Amino acid sequence: MLTAFGRAFKTPDLRKKLLFTFLIIVVYRLGAHVPTPGVSYKAVQECMVGADSTQGFLGLANLFSGGALLQLSIFALGIMPYITASIIIQLLTVVIPRFEALKKEGQAGQTKMTQYTRYLTIGLAILQSSTLITFAQNPSQLFGNPKCTQILTDNSVVTILIMVLTMTAGTGLIMWLGELVTDRGVGNGMSILIFTSIAAGFPGSLWAIQQRDGRWDIFLGVILMGFLIIALVVFVEQSQRRIPVQYAKRMVGRRVYGGTSTYIPMKVNMAGVIPVIFAASLIALPALAAQFAVKPDGTGPAWATWVQTYFVRGDHPLYMVAYTLLILFFTFFYVSITFNPTEVADNMKKYGGFIPGIRAGRPTAEYLQYVLTRITVPGAIYLALISLIPLIALVLVGANQNFPFGGTSILIIVGVGLETVKQIESQLQQRHYEGFLR
Amino acid sequence: MNAVRIGLQVLLVLGGLFLTMLILLHKGKGGGLSDMFGGGMSSSLGGSSVAERNLDRITISVAVVWFTCIVGLGILDRFA
Repeated sequence: MLTAFGRAFKTPDLRKKLLFTFLIIVVYRLGAHVPTPGVSYKAVQECMVGADSTQGFLGLANLFSGGALLQLSIFALGIMPYITASIIIQLLTVVIPRFEALKKEGQAGQTKMTQYTRYLTIGLAILQSSTLITFAQNPSQLFGNPKCTQILTDNSVVTILIMVLTMTAGTGLIMWLGELVTDRGVGNGMSILIFTSIAAGFPGSLWAIQQRDGRWDIFLGVILMGFLIIALVVFVEQSQRRIPVQYAKRMVGRRVYGGTSTYIPMKVNMAGVIPVIFAASLIALPALAAQFAVKPDGTGPAWATWVQTYFVRGDHPLYMVAYTLLILFFTFFYVSITFNPTEVADNMKKYGGFIPGIRAGRPTAEYLQYVLTRITVPGAIYLALISLIPLIALVLVGANQNFPFGGTSILIIVGVGLETVKQIESQLQQRHYEGFLR
Repeated sequence: MNAVRIGLQVLLVLGGLFLTMLILLHKGKGGGLSDMFGGGMSSSLGGSSVAERNLDRITISVAVVWFTCIVGLGILDRFA
């Protein structure tokens, strides 16, 4: 295992890529700590002390930006606008026929869609940075800390416009950094950056558990449990069902094509983390709305207080049930968007492939749909269980919602880690070296 | 001191606008969501063209100027 690391660094090509990736990560983390002009760094640090940075939607965004959001740094928005833009574009492919046509076009269409995503990212960045700065003018709500009154150096329009512009440009820069990593580094740049942000929060939130009670046994127990959960997540992420496909031999000119037997890999968790992200942001919406409706003295309409009692704190059973149901729903929804059995069956028919024992065409599509639905059931339940871990930990050891070994964090960390290691491994194997995984 | 601050702010605004534009000029790499969180299997090969490389250089220099302005403004605020 360690020798494989050594070998990865001995290969000149791969070493260059790895070092490039590290360089980008360093730049990214550095930018996450540089305050935007117009924000008083000292005041922000004072506000952070008593801050409750884990609530709802802002909590998720803060997690994704590696804590940069609440520091109002130049990379405050992090990768979030890009994720949102990608989600929107992906959902639009179902709705808008033009996007669907682009998706079918293959590589060229994909490039076009990526370009749309980039424009949308900048648009969303302007929107989100304006929202964030509006919040920052009234920081006691943003930080959940009543002692916090003023974090901007002045409230003039020019300063605010400059701040919006700076944050937007920062978001654009992050997007470009991610693309550079995809292009010249290892792994997918965007996911590496998310990975970095989340991993950056790990030591802090672990230490917070130790600090709260000052007990080492809970701390060590949590770490041990973490390793178990990681092992479990790796196991499930790797598991797949292989549907055998036999290709008929055919002659094109003088050459024989096909005659091979392969398989369609159906992953148990085909949807990845995206359903969890969807569900988490959706369930935070009522809380966000309630936050606006409640007046500073704590009174508000009846629905707002109802939402605040049942939906803001994560350990209420009603919240857990709603969250679980949303995840189950979105898992099936997302799988149905990303994997189209009819399309796969058509493609197979076109190239003379068939699943042994099943006719080509519609019966194949039906069979694929059947297998897909059946395999997604445990997948969805697994996603829901993993996402409930932080909520349960909230009750058991009093951790916060960014509890490192559960929910979105662990799924993204393991998913991205596996993907990146696989890519490095395939590069190593090109040179007949042993890889990380055996 | 005020002149320096205004100068830096103007430079920051210009730098920010220019940087955003330059970044949008780049060709997007990567293939959407499914690529981001696993499950993707597309890997685009092929290096970048000369135009793209020059664009890279310009973007990096603009980004450095932009970043210097931010740091400069931060230092001004710190010792104001």
